[in-house]
Amino acid sequence: MNTVLSRANSLFAFSLSVMAALTFGCFITTAFKDRSVPVDIRVSRAIIKNVDDFTGPRERSDLGFITFDITADILSKPIFDWNVKQLFLYLSAEYTTKSNVLNQVVLWDKIVLRGDNTRLNLRDMKSKYFFFDDGNGLRSNKNITLTLSWNVVPNAGILPLVMGSGHKSLPFPDAYETTKSY
Amino acid sequence: MLSIFKSVPTHMDYKGQKLAEQIFQGIILVSAVIGFVYGLIIQHFGWTVYIVLAGFTMSCLLTLPPWPMYRRHPLYWQPAIAEPSGENREKPQENLKKKKHK
Repeated sequence: MNTVLSRANSLFAFSLSVMAALTFGCFITTAFKDRSVPVDIRVSRAIIKNVDDFTGPRERSDLGFITFDITADILSKPIFDWNVKQLFLYLSAEYTTKSNVLNQVVLWDKIVLRGDNTRLNLRDMKSKYFFFDDGNGLRSNKNITLTLSWNVVPNAGILPLVMGSGHKSLPFPDAYETTKSY
Repeated sequence: MLSIFKSVPTHMDYKGQKLAEQIFQGIILVSAVIGFVYGLIIQHFGWTVYIVLAGFTMSCLLTLPPWPMYRRHPLYWQPAIAEPSGENREKPQENLKKKKHK
């Protein structure tokens, strides 16, 4: 503490320690929070096609097309507390086939930044990614569960994975949509 | 030029060092508490960081330069005691004599 540099050193070290303690406090105030939010998912159209999957097994696989609506009022329960930078929302489909007990396909995702409108009201959305099965497990599959989940990207601490409460179970039709030639 | 720099006091006495440490710890802790409460209320951690940084710069300004308030308790050294041994006394006298000769 006798020279300017040694004072600067101890001042900086002390500030860093205090900042670390504050960051831990920020984590601990939000660590045990229930971040789940009711989500309403509606599916207006679900068709399947049987097309060549060039990325996977090189056979004709089932490809599902889903048009969906999502309503989630994230504002009603403030998800953006002071330990949240952004949310990574994704819509995933879970289903069971003969070959696999659990299949999970991510159909759509969205990044919600801090300051964005957190009231989700999406109408007639098409899936961003292909809903391919690795076989023919989608046809007349009566229990496809759609779930909206999100990763909370925090300032400090763990990266929670939150499942929105409210699932949507949908059936796929028994017949393939014939591919139209455009 | 150099004499100007040497005349600038850079010294901080022991009580001044203790005072400086207490001042910056107090300022940073107070700003941390204020920032934590404010950030918790408005739910924005960035403001907590800004308030702590403001406390940091304030305590830098207050305690890094050796202000005169940290030099109020200078150490008083004992005056030099003349040593009674003969040899040490004579040597400076010899030097003086030599100088006179020159």
